[in-house]
Formats: sequence, C-alpha cells, structure tokens
Amino acid sequence: MAEVTFRSVSKQYDGGGPKAVHDLELDIKDGEFMVLVGPSGCGKSTALRMIAGLEEITEGELRIGDRLVNDVPPGDRDIAMVFQNYALYPHMTVRENIGFALEVAKVKKAEIKARTEEAAEMLGLTEYLDRLPKALSGGQRQRVAMGRAIVRSPQVFLMDEPLSNLDAKLRVQMRSEIIQIQKRLDTTMVYVTHDQIEAMTMGHRVAVMRLGVLQQVAHPQELYQRPANLFVAAFIGSPAMNLINVTLGGTAERPTASFAGHTLAIDEGAIERYPQIVDRIGSSVVLGLRPEHFSMEGDFDLPDDQIVEFKIELAEAMGAEAHLHITLDVPVVELDGQPVSAEDGDETPLSTTKIIARIDGIHFVTSGENLRLGVKTHLAHFFDPDTGLPLS
Amino acid sequence: MSVRRKGPRATIVRIFTYLCLVSVAVIVVFPFVVAFATSTKNSQDIFNYPPTLIPKEPQTVDPAEVAFPDIDADEPLPLYAFPDSDTRFALVDNDVSVAEFRPLDDVDRIIRLDVTSGEKTGEVVIIDGAEEDVFVIEVDGINIEAYRSRLTSGGQFVSLDDPTDVRVELVNVVEPLQQFGPRLENFEEVLIDKELGRSLTNTVLVTIAVVSGQILTSILGGYAFARIKFKGSGSLFLLYLGSVMVPFVVLIIPLFQLMLQVGWLDNLSALIIPFMFSAYGTFLMRQFFISIPIEIEEAALLDNASRWKILWRIMVPLARPAIATLATFGFLYAWNSFFWPLVIINSGNPDGRVLSLALSTLGGRSSTDLNLVFAGAMIAMTPPILVFLFAQRYFVENSASSGLK
Repeated sequence: MAEVTFRSVSKQYDGGGPKAVHDLELDIKDGEFMVLVGPSGCGKSTALRMIAGLEEITEGELRIGDRLVNDVPPGDRDIAMVFQNYALYPHMTVRENIGFALEVAKVKKAEIKARTEEAAEMLGLTEYLDRLPKALSGGQRQRVAMGRAIVRSPQVFLMDEPLSNLDAKLRVQMRSEIIQIQKRLDTTMVYVTHDQIEAMTMGHRVAVMRLGVLQQVAHPQELYQRPANLFVAAFIGSPAMNLINVTLGGTAERPTASFAGHTLAIDEGAIERYPQIVDRIGSSVVLGLRPEHFSMEGDFDLPDDQIVEFKIELAEAMGAEAHLHITLDVPVVELDGQPVSAEDGDETPLSTTKIIARIDGIHFVTSGENLRLGVKTHLAHFFDPDTGLPLS
Repeated sequence: MSVRRKGPRATIVRIFTYLCLVSVAVIVVFPFVVAFATSTKNSQDIFNYPPTLIPKEPQTVDPAEVAFPDIDADEPLPLYAFPDSDTRFALVDNDVSVAEFRPLDDVDRIIRLDVTSGEKTGEVVIIDGAEEDVFVIEVDGINIEAYRSRLTSGGQFVSLDDPTDVRVELVNVVEPLQQFGPRLENFEEVLIDKELGRSLTNTVLVTIAVVSGQILTSILGGYAFARIKFKGSGSLFLLYLGSVMVPFVVLIIPLFQLMLQVGWLDNLSALIIPFMFSAYGTFLMRQFFISIPIEIEEAALLDNASRWKILWRIMVPLARPAIATLATFGFLYAWNSFFWPLVIINSGNPDGRVLSLALSTLGGRSSTDLNLVFAGAMIAMTPPILVFLFAQRYFVENSASSGLK
C-alpha cells in the first residue's frame, strides 16, 4: 500500500500536438479510492498508464510511496491493473491467468495454488478455475481480471474503465463489489471512468480532468455542490446542470436574472455564497441551475418572483420524478468556443439553450403545455462567462 | 447461423451445386487415384489394356493340386481360361513343341496340338506350290484330315477339373485369369533397391531443419518488427518485405557463388541454411502479432514478465494459427523444392539426393517401371498430405480475440 504523487507531470506524445496531460499535480493518499473522470481525450487514461509505467513521463515526477518511479519498468512498480477489455491471456485457464504473475515471480507452486484459490474464492470464481476465458461471461471475465490484480497484493490497483463492457445491471453489481473489495483490501485504488455516476458513487475523491488539465479534485458531494468551474458544473450530475446565459438586473436587495423574456429573482442564499452578484448587476453571467432546483408551483413555498412560466417541449415521466425539457431562446453557454454541455452527436443549435427541470413524479405533465415552475434560486450557481470560474 | 432455403427451386439449385462440386472433385482427385492404383500394380499389370484402377495379379494354383504327371515346377502355376470351356486350366509347361494343323476342307482354321499327335496318311497335298504331308488328327472325337503348317513352341494346359483335358496352345492367345492383387512390395523395392530411402531421410532432415529454422527466425523477427520500437524499424521492415518480391531465379547464381565460397556445394547445408530465414514468414508473424491486443502484452508487462517470457508464454501460444500456416507453407516449399537441390547436389552423389531429385532420376531411368515411379511419388506425397490434415484445423481456428470481450 502506498500513496501516489504526481508532481507537475506532463505527457507529450511523439509527433507534437497538445500535451495529453498538462502539469498534473495530484496526491492520492494511501488506501484511497481515487476516481479519474472526464470526457474521452481528457488525459485520464494517460495519467493512469503513467502510473502503470506503460506511458513514459515527459516532465515532472511521479512517486509511488517514497519511490520516484519515472524510469522504473512496469513490472517493478508493484502495481496491478485491470484493463477495459480485461486483457486475459486467452490460452490460459482462469487459474493460470490469476497465477501468472506469481509464476513469473517464481513463487512456490503450493503457494500459487493457495493464493489463486483464495482470490477466486473472494470473487466467486472457484468453480470456473479450470475454464478458459472464452467459456466465461463478460462479468466473469471481469472478475478474473480483478482476481489477477488481487492475487498479487500490489501497492496500488489501477482500473481503466473496467465496467464499460458490461451491461447496465451487471455494472451496478460490479460497482458495489469493487467498492467492497477495495474497502476490504484497503489498497490504494486509481479508477478511470468516463461515467460520472461511477465517479460519484465509487470514489473517496474524484479528480475531474479536461483536455489534459486537472479541473478539480474533491469529495463527490463537494464536486456536485461546489463545482470549481463551468466544466465541472456541466460534467458532474445527471441530467447535467442547466447553464443559462443571463443578464443580472434588479436591485442590490433583490437582484434578478433575465433570460429569454423571463425574469427570475435571486434569493438571499445565493447572494451569500456569491456576493459579487450585486456588483455585477447590469452585466452578463452564467446561471447554473440543477434540474432539481426546479419544482412545480406550490410544491415549495417560493415567492412569486421566483416562479416562471415555461413551455414544456417534452415531459418524460420517470416514475418517482418527471423530466421536463424546455428550450430557451438564449445563446448556449460556451467554454473555449465549444457549447459547454455538448455531447457526441448533439446537434443543438447554438442560438438556443436546452434545459431540463426535474419535478416530483406525482404531477401529470403533458408535452406542449405551459407550466409555471418555481426555481430555488438560493441554491443556484453563478459563473463568470469569460473565465468559467464561479463568481466570488 | 446457417440459412437453409426450401422449395423445389432451391432443391434444383442445390442438386446443380452438388453436381458441379462433385464433378470438380472427381476431376481433381482422379490423377491421385490413378497414381495410387498404379503404385500398387505389378510390372505386367501396368501395361494391361484397357488399363484398370484395380491392381491385378495372375491367378495361380499350387502344382501339387494339379493332377498331371511330370510337372517340373516349384512355382505356383498360372491359370488360364479357354473360350470353349468353363473350367480353369493350369499352364503346366510353357515350352512344349506345338504343331499347327490346318484342315484340308478349311485351310484358314488353325488347330494347335501336341507335336506327337496326328498320323501321317502318306498322302500329299500341294499348298501354295509346296508339298505337304496329310495327317489325320482327332478333334473333339472326330477324325479330320489336315496338313501341318508349322511347328512352334507353346504351353501345355491342364484343366483343373478334368485332368484328362490336356491342351496345347500358344500362351499369348489364351486369356490369363486375374484376381485382385496389390503389389505392396513396390514400396519396399523403391525404398531399398532404388535407394529412395536415403533420399527420404535427407528430405526429412532438410525439411525439419528448414521449417524449424524458419519458424524460430520468423517468430523472433516478426515480434521485433511488431512490438519493439527501434530506430529505422519501419524502413528495415520495408526492405525486408521488398526481398519477398525478388524472384528466386535471380538469386540462384549469387547464392551458388556464395555456397561455392563457403564450401557447401554438394552438401545438405546448402539446402538448409540459406532457407532458414524467411521474409515472408517474418511478415506473416509480424502481422499476426500486431493483431494481438496490446493490452494482453501490457498486462504481462505489469505481471513483471520479461520480453522473452511474454514472447514464449503469451504471444507464441496465441500465434499458433499463424505458426501452423507458416509451418505448412515452409514444409511444402522445403519438401517439394527441386531446382535448388538440382543445382547444388551433384548428380553422381546419390547420398546427397533429396526426394524430388531421386524421383526425377527414377522417372528418367526406370520409366518402364511405372509402378515403382508411382510408388516413389506416393511416398513423396504422403507426408505433405498428413501435414496438411494435421495443420488445417489451426487455419480455421480463431483464437486471439477470445480472451477479450
């Protein structure tokens, strides 16, 4: 067990281009479950592979424990990795797969057998020990990959999107199993995922990355409640936080945010957290509202100036809650020239902003109707549109 | 998933398909069948007309079973059939004097009898201007007047069922009785008497050395090109691959010069060492290694396995299909190679000969012993067929991806 420390680590691939990882400073504590999350191409896998020793470090220092490992070959780092496609040895049985590292380390046969069986026991693989990987289901292969990591009792576990090839149900199950195994072994774990639900549910702390740059490292709850910038705000949460370009108005006592013909009073709670709002009256800022900050008129005791009438484009009844899709006639919030919440294949016109409100499922809403929704503006977030940072 | 159409139209299509396939198969297989049949025939049977696919040998009988006095033969007696009799006749003596009689009332008919038969009547006839004595001969119990047109030698035949039925006839006009009789001694004869055994040993030796050498060097080279980064690996690989495009004919003279310098002329080393390196094999192995997911290798690296261990424990077992392919091609090439041994091995050195050379010599010198030539060909053909049968299941095996999702 050991801590992993990145000291201004950068990675530049051959052939130029932007750095895959830029000046990464990250302290992963001993026994911590650290999740690296971000969209594809954010450098999270590269960071993980640098810990593994599969990618060279261009600049900076990487330590595992007290040891500088920049030039230590992968096999000598005492780490174990679970790959996205499991990377089992296809021609070896489960037993041989799990025991291979021990065999390479010239551990005695009897001990290999004992440790392999112990790991298999922990993962419920005992009856599959003599099968080949091709005779296993996806979930079982995943467990074998885990077993191969566990059996070595490494200092650090590395997991590269280990659940992304599983179906949704199995993913939920394996998620909790991995959490339990980590808790039981109390080994430092670095877990890479692009799925922010995995990030939120699994990690002790979550590191959000974008374009090779670390955006924020925090406890999942803190990430959600106090995103360090527009990107984190938009990335964490599902459905994502609604980000709207608004103009601040009103008075210093009761400022308002105007957008697309609507005017919304900003409650005291927000002003306490973002006192700068008052100084910015008359200028443009980005308003961030989580879907759950909306409510049906009358569900909460909200003043009239916090109630806005929206045209509901689409109402999705989810059972316990309903998602209301609303299109606002304001230009979409941009980050570095890109729509901030753009996902792959999303063709939202840049001149409008789509938002989603989440209301209690007991309400029956039909698509197309006009609805008055209350907005808990005391919970709202405010960002500077130019820097992407929260207003102070 | 197999799609199986139904209905009369589909049936017709299927019948037509099968007919086409079967006829092509027959055309392809027929020469092999002929070669195999011929290789088991005896030296008379190969010239039988019309030729048959089934090897035959003469029917014989043990002399002790023939009720005829004075048989001076230890060998089994061949059996013949006469058109006017259902019984089989043993040829007890094939060098008896035979008299040919021609009846006076039908001079075109020839009756062949023992030279002692017939009694002179004392009369004389003129045939074609020559005087001939008239004989009385007995044919089927009837006395006929005939003259003796010539004396020759022929065979004496005895019926197996009726020892009193003794006939004299020219051997080549009687139909010999035949039975199914493969002559497996052909193989022994060709291996020992024709010295094909030594050539076979040489070929096996050369082939094993060439194939194992090719596999070893191709695995090492292919892995290096696939996975180890070194300066100039790309251009070196192109150069290497380019050498596949050079026809072998172009290399014969320089290679011969080289062998001359090294002193390997008329030596099996010249057949082995230059062929232990295969650009094609290296290319094949490289392509296969590249297709193995890099994560498998990275996992092994993290398991602290050395490059050497990864190669032999992970990559090579996964590359079995490619190795089987390479081995098969290498085997066929080495086994069948003819021209280079012809250039290198002196024609007067039977100890250095390989099978292809020996076969061509056999075909040239013993072309009358077609059965032996074909027996040699069968011996030369069997190992490649066995190798193919053994290796073909690897061709269809699809293995490397099965460890992944």
